[in-house]
Amino acid sequence: MAPSRPDPVTSPDRSVAGRLLPFLPAALLVLFLALFPVAITKPYPLHMGVILFLAVLQGSAWNLIGGYAGQYSVGHAAYFGTGAYTAVMLLEYFHVAPWWSLPLAMLAAVAVALVIGSITFRLRGPYFVLASIAVAEIMRLAALHFRGLTRGAEGFVVADVPTLHVLGLQLDFAGKRPFYYLTLVLAVLAVTVSRLVRRSPLGYRLLAIREDQDAAHSLGISLSFNKNVALAISAALTGMAGAVFAGFSRFVDPSAAFGLDISVQMVLVCILGGIGTVEGPVIGAMLLVPLDEVLRNPRGLVTVGLLPAGSGLVDFIQRYLSQAHLLVYGLLIVVMILFAPDGVAGLVRRRAFRRRAEAPPAAAPAP
Amino acid sequence: MPLLEIRHVSKFFGGLAANSDVSFSVEQGTILGLIGPNGAGKTTLFNCITGFHPPDRGDIRFRGVRLNGLSPARICRLGLVRTWQKVRPLAKMTVLDNVMVGALSRARTLDAARTEALEQLRVVGLDRRAAALAGGLPIGERKKLEMARVLATRPELVLLDEVMGGLNPAESDEIIDLILVLKNAGLTQMVIEHDMRAIMRVSDRIVVLNSGEKLAEGTPAEVVENREVVTAYLGEAP
Amino acid sequence: MILFLQSVLSGVLVGGVYALIGIGLTLIFGVMRVINFAHGELVMLGMYATWILFTRLGWDPYLSIVVVAPLLFLWGAALQTAVINRMLGTLPQNQILLTIGLGLVMSNGVMLAFTSDYRILTTAYSSASFSLLGLSVSEPLLISFVITVAITAALVLFLLKTDTGQAIRATAQDREAAQLMGINVQRMSVLTFGLGAALAGTAGALVSPTYYIFPQVGSAFTLKAFVIVVLGGMGSVAGATLGGILIGVVESLAAVYVASGLKELVVFVLFLVLLLVKPSGLLGKTRA
Repeated sequence: MAPSRPDPVTSPDRSVAGRLLPFLPAALLVLFLALFPVAITKPYPLHMGVILFLAVLQGSAWNLIGGYAGQYSVGHAAYFGTGAYTAVMLLEYFHVAPWWSLPLAMLAAVAVALVIGSITFRLRGPYFVLASIAVAEIMRLAALHFRGLTRGAEGFVVADVPTLHVLGLQLDFAGKRPFYYLTLVLAVLAVTVSRLVRRSPLGYRLLAIREDQDAAHSLGISLSFNKNVALAISAALTGMAGAVFAGFSRFVDPSAAFGLDISVQMVLVCILGGIGTVEGPVIGAMLLVPLDEVLRNPRGLVTVGLLPAGSGLVDFIQRYLSQAHLLVYGLLIVVMILFAPDGVAGLVRRRAFRRRAEAPPAAAPAP
Repeated sequence: MPLLEIRHVSKFFGGLAANSDVSFSVEQGTILGLIGPNGAGKTTLFNCITGFHPPDRGDIRFRGVRLNGLSPARICRLGLVRTWQKVRPLAKMTVLDNVMVGALSRARTLDAARTEALEQLRVVGLDRRAAALAGGLPIGERKKLEMARVLATRPELVLLDEVMGGLNPAESDEIIDLILVLKNAGLTQMVIEHDMRAIMRVSDRIVVLNSGEKLAEGTPAEVVENREVVTAYLGEAP
Repeated sequence: MILFLQSVLSGVLVGGVYALIGIGLTLIFGVMRVINFAHGELVMLGMYATWILFTRLGWDPYLSIVVVAPLLFLWGAALQTAVINRMLGTLPQNQILLTIGLGLVMSNGVMLAFTSDYRILTTAYSSASFSLLGLSVSEPLLISFVITVAITAALVLFLLKTDTGQAIRATAQDREAAQLMGINVQRMSVLTFGLGAALAGTAGALVSPTYYIFPQVGSAFTLKAFVIVVLGGMGSVAGATLGGILIGVVESLAAVYVASGLKELVVFVLFLVLLLVKPSGLLGKTRA
């Protein structure tokens, strides 16, 4: 009756070491990322860091509603754009500094989400996907048309982001470093939220909704309430990403804010990495962002020293593939859905599960 | 007052009356068998009771509360749940997680839900399979899983829709025993079943539906003697 | 009043072509239950094929349908066999993502090959119009409408009177039953996807004298095609025809009475309203 290692399903390890240990690799990674700008001061790697963290933020945000609840929105740009335009318009028209416009951008995105949710959550499967695309398109067309408000196709150019004075520090947002740290914090926040939700009653209810909506309904799970909660959190995070991106790229126009490629990228990050898992968006972002950048800007490989200047590969990519990033997105989507719908994380898990199934069974828990 | 009252319930799909003026009630602590040929409207009635489509006419009352128009989630929280004719496991979740989902309708924390879930798995005999993926279970275990899941919601009335469908005699016997154990514990049940042996064993009363209408009602002995019932099942007597 | 009639008229004429696109999409859904989000790209391919034939060989766009339609048919059949067929078992949400991916591949493949420059196909009659009962009728629109009617009539005859056509309809109604009756449902799927692609390509050829041709033009058609199909009821050819004309008229009226820049927005808002109020469409009976 001597208990062997406790079965994590029936009795999760409650000791302090047991609770903290799984976080060690992640903590080390975050520490490394935090110290990175101390060693590397060149702007390009920091720029890529910001893009990467934003991708993790957006992917994790989408995962809440798409991965956990199974509601595949391909129109999440609606919230991204709302956040971006809110931040930028507050700055331009009311001179509100981004620190205040960030929470306001989040609120705006949540408000939009609740409206969209109440309209679209009645729809099932593919109809929901279509509606989500239609909504983002409506917002893009509206942003294009109502020039008085949004400056139409011209868009907003953010003159400069005011310096933040906090805790005796002076953060000058003209450089990349403050954005690097800001987005790192937000990315860690998003992944944390993602994990908290996954292991909460809300997470269970969302997964049940994803697996079988009617069964979940009959078991006492309120469909619209839970979906709306997930969407609200998802939209808040996505709106934040939009607001930060507006400050970082200093330019917002209807396509940059509401474009289909933004929505597709969020979905692709999760499909690549593993839909419905906490680590999936992180893995997906780490795969997609470098790939994307190499295609768009092969000279970057030279800048970081991976390839010598004048390399044939760089020229090749520049000449033939420089516009191909969406093509690659499309191919990746097709390949992943056909052959690995659970993403990289899914492939790894399947291997681990198979190995565990072949191992001798653990001792039964004491009665 | 009976626990569940069905009063003059009718449900139409297009021009077809799937349920037509059906009335009966279920007393607390008893088991009601609901039988009838295929297409008689049994599952439709379950759908009406549990809120998946509101009846077009008539009244459904549970402990006096009118169920018409309430959502399935609300009805579950009132204490009325159902299993599905075609089992609906939450495939990518483990057996334990499946039952925890049911438990979460009452439990506030995951720990409380887990305890409740393990208890119900023990009751149905699936505790050894807690870590297995629900989607990989054989049919007998899936049926048990569904029962454990609804039991975890701590219901007062459970609607069992062909819970023995597709099972071999040994597995059916296990389910029958389970149903009787639950009855002893005070649970009220309404059972749709084609397995006559099982229905006769567990039911206190039987209601027979045919072509949407209630054909007969009574104790198992009464119903089995009823000529109309026999005809409905076997066709016209020579 | 004249303005109103004018808009309605041009709306109907354009709507005919929309209907053609919608019919292809609804057939694909009816037979395979696949939501083809790459349908607009098939139209785009038809436009480019027509443009190539026009600029390289000097072929009239309407005549080149004779080549463009079979070409797109083969392409559709190939897509179905190689890709779509493999995903018939997956979740509907994944299916739609997959076709979105295919659409991206097609539009960006074309962009790599032909750059994103806007192409124009100007024929002698591109801006010609004549007067009918006091209303101005655009010649190319009228010709394409007439061709559309002819093709639709031929299609309906095919579906109703020929063995293959009836086999397709049987598969759409009940795939399993059709299979039990000896119909090769796999071949029906290939045929239907090819047919849908051919119709889309034909629509592309028909609009090429009056639209800008560029790689991303497909996306506007895709969403509109879905509005049409949902309006008419998924799987209903008659519904798609009606829906196409209706959407053409709505868009035309919106351009005049709301704002030209908002005409598509109006259509999409209508789409959302429709999905909420009557998702099974005016004539169809699919569950949303």
